[in-house]
This record gives sequence, structure tokens and C-alpha cells, in this order.
Amino acid sequence: MGLISPLGNSCEEFFSNLVAGRSGIKRISSDFVDRLSINIAAEADFAAEAYFSKKTARTLDRFSQFAVVAAAQAWLDADMQLPGDEKKRAGVYLGTGMGGARTLEDSYVQLFKQNVKRLDPLTVVMVMNNAAASYISMAHAMKGPCLTFSTACSSSAVAIGEAFRLIKHGYADVMLAGGTESLLTYGIFMSWESIGTLALEAEDPSTSCRPFSKDRTGFVLGEGAAILVLESLDRAKQRGARIYGEVVGYGSTADADHITKPSVEGQANAIAAALEEAGISPDEIDYINAHGTATVVNDIAETRAIKEIFGQRAYQIPISSTKSMHGHLLGAAGAIELVAAVLALKHQTAPPTANLTIPDPECDLDYVPGKARTGLNLKTIMSNSFAFGGTNAVLIVKKHE
Amino acid sequence: MTFERIKKLFLENFDLSDERLYPEATVESIGLDSLDKIEFLFVLEKEFDIKIPDREVKLNSIQDMISVIERLVAEQCAKQEQSV
Repeated sequence: MGLISPLGNSCEEFFSNLVAGRSGIKRISSDFVDRLSINIAAEADFAAEAYFSKKTARTLDRFSQFAVVAAAQAWLDADMQLPGDEKKRAGVYLGTGMGGARTLEDSYVQLFKQNVKRLDPLTVVMVMNNAAASYISMAHAMKGPCLTFSTACSSSAVAIGEAFRLIKHGYADVMLAGGTESLLTYGIFMSWESIGTLALEAEDPSTSCRPFSKDRTGFVLGEGAAILVLESLDRAKQRGARIYGEVVGYGSTADADHITKPSVEGQANAIAAALEEAGISPDEIDYINAHGTATVVNDIAETRAIKEIFGQRAYQIPISSTKSMHGHLLGAAGAIELVAAVLALKHQTAPPTANLTIPDPECDLDYVPGKARTGLNLKTIMSNSFAFGGTNAVLIVKKHE
Repeated sequence: MTFERIKKLFLENFDLSDERLYPEATVESIGLDSLDKIEFLFVLEKEFDIKIPDREVKLNSIQDMISVIERLVAEQCAKQEQSV
């Protein structure tokens, strides 16, 4: 696994910050911050020059830069080798909401404000949503399927689920799967301000995202990337690979209801579908990484959906929303949250839901408020991603014994 | 002079060594592909404040670039003088 995030640019740093309850949410560093009503975000501390030559950095939008670096980390972490005859059996599935958003906005500023007569010739290939996946496939000579999924906040969960199925049904043996997002631009902040789902800035800005808390006001936009190496179990065992877990279930459903409002039925269906594919009962889920955006409606809907499937057992499962600390990574959210859940499995520790200070009777499950829970006996974890547009994606990973 | 400015731009924008950059060097000998070349023309346009016409301009070597740039800059100056 590999990642770039507002809580660090390595899995170890990311997880130790989560467990410590640290927040990556702070005042936006860009100079347009004072033109915004909401001044906070979860930015990644990432300088392109630390990872790329000048020439390469200029050809990659930041969203691609994140993804390429995260993929390289994951490749190394997996100690992956791909001999010539296996290259066609290896591919890349990524999720992103808005691709090269930063480059696109810079181009518009140049055209409409500065009246330039010509745009950078690489604009098209920096902005296109599939750029990140393509550069990853080039970097690792992966000649199998190379696709990019765009389903808003569930994009990368979808990408991982689809990659899992690709291997499961024999179309590939190795997949790099995950997501990337970098859209912290003036125009995009303004768009999000208008739709009214962003958290109001708390007195201590780092505590602004409060999933499941009675005083929650929404989410904080973040940026980053997370990539996982998925591999067929046979191949992994044969080469003695270190196995973090086994993806066993993926549920993909549509709310078919409203473009933004979540549907309990759609979410519950996705959870049920994932459990069914995994061939396990709800009793076997030991930890859930919630979608938990801290909007009033999502947190209630998600609580109801979990109760609908898990019944009384729902009250015994530790459930946390790590968005409270790393923010909402949109197209990369599903992937980074699955990494958090898989690391929970590795360390037998459930990260907390930060800032959950006022219980909401409508969200009365065990949301691991404030402090991480260590010394658990986690065998199977679930990660939820529910999106604008209504595409729900739920993933289940089992510890590999 | 023009050559020095072009050489500096090459060094700033690509990972190249000094010896590859001399007036007769071609785009190929420098090691650029077609996309690199388009990108570099854009950099030249910004540096010299000119617009290089899109087609039928021979730009295979640094010497070609020097000729085209000096011609366009001169044309530009001439136009400015006319409008004054």
C-alpha cells in the first residue's frame, strides 16, 4: 500500500497520526483563502521537486503526481516483480472525482483573466481524468486493463472493488487500485461552499469535522492519493508475498433516488451485497470504517443502514469515521479509508472518530469517540463509501491466516 | 545571444547536459520527442513574446529556432513601430 495524505506521506505515519487522534485540517495555505467564507482544508504536504525531475513535474497535474508516488510506494511495499510475460496480466484501476482540476482552473485563469493567446500544449493530457492511471501503467509497464472510475466520493472504492473482481474472475493477476484527488482550488472551494455541505470553521479549526456528533456541520475538503497492490492469492502465496488481507466482498449499488441525499435503502443494499459476495454473516464484521462525512443527513442514514443489516450486533461493532482527521478526499476517499481499515487489521487497533464530543441519539452506535481502541481481535473489516449521485460502494477485507 | 537564451531554457525545462546543446543540434540529437518539442515551442513563445505559426515552419535544429525567433521578433518590432 502507498499513500499521500494530509496526515503524512507514508502508511506508517498516516496510521500513527490517526491512532493519536491528530488532525490534518487547518487553515488553507493558498493566497485566495481570504476570498472564501470557509477557510479550512486538509492539504497534503507534498512538494513535486522532492519526487520528480523538473521535466516530469511539468507534465503531471498534482493529482497525477500524488498517484504516481503512492503507486511507487505500494509497488515497493509489495516487493512486486512483473516479468515480461506477465505484464499483460497486470493493470491499473483508479478513481478520481475531478482529475487535473488544478491545471484546468489555471488554464481558465490564463485564458479569461490574462487573455493568453496560447495554452500550455500539455493542458489536455494533464487535465484528463485518466492521466494518473496511465502514468502509473507506464511507470510499471502494466499492459493489462488501465481504467479510471468517476463516481464522486465512491470512485476509489469502486476502482478497488472492480479490480478485485477482475482478478477474482481471472482477467488479471496483479492490479494497482485506488484513487487520487487534488482539487483545492479557488473555483472548486467556491462551488462546494454553495452546495452547503462543508463544515463551518470551529474555534479550533482542526476540530471542524465532527462525524456523528450532535454539533456536526459537514465535512472538510482534502487532497491525496492511496494505492493498494491487489494480487491473486495463488501468485502472492507462491512468491511469499506479505499479505495484509484478502478482499472478499464488494457491494456496488445505486440509490436511484436523489442526486445528493443519501438513501438508507441504497446503502443497506450495498452492505448486504458485499456480505453476500464475501459469503459471511453480519456477525463476522469486526470493524467498520464509516463514510461518516459529518453531514447531518449522511450520518443518520448510514447509522440506519448499518442497523438495518446488522440488527442488534450493530451496537457491538467499533465504527469510526477517519474523515474527522484526514478530511474528505472525494475521489480518493474510498481508497485511503480502506487503507486505514486494513492498517487497523494489521495493528489490531481501531482509529477514533475525532471530535465526537456530543452524542447524537440518532447516531447511537459505537463510533469510537475521541480515543483509538487497541488490543482488539479484528479478523474482518468493512469500509463504506456513499456518494453524490448515489453510487454506494462497500468493501470487505479479511485477515489472511 | 538568442542561442544563449534558448540554451538556458532547455536546461531549465529538461534534464539535459550542456554538451548536447549547440546550434546545429537537432531536436532528435537533443533527445526530445514530438510532445517535448511542442512544449518547448510554447516555452520559447513565452520567453520571446512571439507567436510561432502552427504549421510549415522548419524547426528541427536549434539554428532553425534561432532564425525563426529572430525573424518573428523583428516582425513584431516592425509592427509596433507601424502602429505608433
